[in-house]
Amino acid sequence: MLQLLKIEWLKVKNYRTFWILSALYLLSIWGINYIVYVIQSKIFHDKNAKDAAQMFLGGPPYAFPKVWAMTSYVSSYLLFIAGLIMIIIVTNEFSFKTHRQNIIDGETRTQFIVTKLMCGVVVALVSTLFVFLTAIFFGITAGEGTFSFENFEYIFYFFLQALSYCWLAVFFSLLFKRSGISIGVFFLYTIVLENVLVQALNYYANGTGRYLPIQSSDELLPLPFLEKVQQQISKTEVNVTLQLAFVLAYLVIYFFFSRRKFETDDL
Amino acid sequence: MDVLTLNGITKYYGRIRALNNVSFIVPEGSVFGILGPNGSGKTTMLGIIMDIIRPTSGSFTFFGAPPTAGMRKQIGTLLETPNFYHYLSAERNLRIAAEIKGKGHNQIDYVLRKVDLYQRKDSKFQTYSLGMKQRLAIASCLLGDPKVLVFDEPTNGLDPVGIAEIRELIKNIAAEGRTIIMASHLLDEVEKVCTHVGILKMGDLLAAGKVDEVLVNEDIVEVGAANIQLLEQTLHSLNGYTSLKKNKEVIQLLYPVGTANLENINEYCFKNGVVLNHLQLKKKSLETKFLELTNK
Repeated sequence: MLQLLKIEWLKVKNYRTFWILSALYLLSIWGINYIVYVIQSKIFHDKNAKDAAQMFLGGPPYAFPKVWAMTSYVSSYLLFIAGLIMIIIVTNEFSFKTHRQNIIDGETRTQFIVTKLMCGVVVALVSTLFVFLTAIFFGITAGEGTFSFENFEYIFYFFLQALSYCWLAVFFSLLFKRSGISIGVFFLYTIVLENVLVQALNYYANGTGRYLPIQSSDELLPLPFLEKVQQQISKTEVNVTLQLAFVLAYLVIYFFFSRRKFETDDL
Repeated sequence: MDVLTLNGITKYYGRIRALNNVSFIVPEGSVFGILGPNGSGKTTMLGIIMDIIRPTSGSFTFFGAPPTAGMRKQIGTLLETPNFYHYLSAERNLRIAAEIKGKGHNQIDYVLRKVDLYQRKDSKFQTYSLGMKQRLAIASCLLGDPKVLVFDEPTNGLDPVGIAEIRELIKNIAAEGRTIIMASHLLDEVEKVCTHVGILKMGDLLAAGKVDEVLVNEDIVEVGAANIQLLEQTLHSLNGYTSLKKNKEVIQLLYPVGTANLENINEYCFKNGVVLNHLQLKKKSLETKFLELTNK
């Protein structure tokens, strides 16, 4: 597997699009948290607003230990870019027909697709590592609270969500093969369409919207200071174990469907 | 030992039948041409033996064993188009191919020189002309010193000089004892390069075997005389030919390959009072034979 990942490395090492996108994406993880950080610190430094904020929100969201959950939550809005990177990596192979050439040169179909899925793991891991560093940065900058790993499970949930985005992106790429349509459908589905479905299912089907592919991992990363309010609105508590089971089940589905599709298609 | 054996390969794309029960054998050391018009199933067939297209039914073996990815590493293949990463240089593209094949990078310069691309090895693939792309693909095939090479339309997009070079290269490779499987719609190419040929038409294998058996199985002797009627009568009593065709100006005698003896014919006619004004041995033109075969 290391040898196969080394080959993937050779493919992206001199690929400028990949590096520019990745750099901007990682920078934006820090950036989007910075924006929210500035807004919340203004609120907490305003004497009038502070009391109200304290009442509703508890302590500042970027202080330990809430910072793990807060950074994970805020950063998750950028995960569609991680998906975009995966779509580019996979659909490039189709447009250059190098997926054929890799097989012709002696990779097995299984090796090829599993390596691509492992690239998704790498992208998810790097995203998570960056969220981890960003959280430490803002946690320390916020100054309140002492460093702790309480709530650290949110970083793990972030990883699961990142992986969900990446593998869903791989699956869409295999389905549509062309980058334009894959990106379009992926963005529209993850940003708009699934949320429409979530609302509809929650309303008409007894709250089952939370079990949809991306939403099931979204539920693991709630906005850390409105949990109480959210629960009031939806009248149910998030069953973490059940949500985790759904997330893992979807990951297994992406893995096996992607594999099966690539192993049986005419390439 | 036969390099490749196909057993009843059939492929449907939806309702369209691309290959119909194709079976043949590629002997070791041969240059096997797969000849057929566009859309006859050549690329589909090569795609199947390279595991990028799934056959609907049938099977094949390499060196008598079921195919594996490891065997593909020992075969250099150019299928349909040169497939490389557009944003990488020739050398970096070949590094990827070498890594997949499990070969070292030390042959890269050698194969680039062999196809005359060494000067441009650091240019990105997307800046290459069609002919250069094709030559890079052939360079990639040569990596790892494969015993078997598969070329699909190897001279596609090349200029006349390039075509001649590639054919020369293929002949040299074959002279080293390697087996080459080559698809082409150019008869002339197959005639010039191949030892064996299989003819495909609409997915059916019409014929397969040695080139001189499949394509040139008859010699034609054209004879002419002032009195063509008398000539015809005289020739009726001549032995050795398989059939006689009468045209306006000349009479054609068809002989099994290598059995026509012009001196005998001349002497025979003269003895029987016919003076020939035309006597010529013609190999049956490949094109005629090909059209005959594909128009069945």
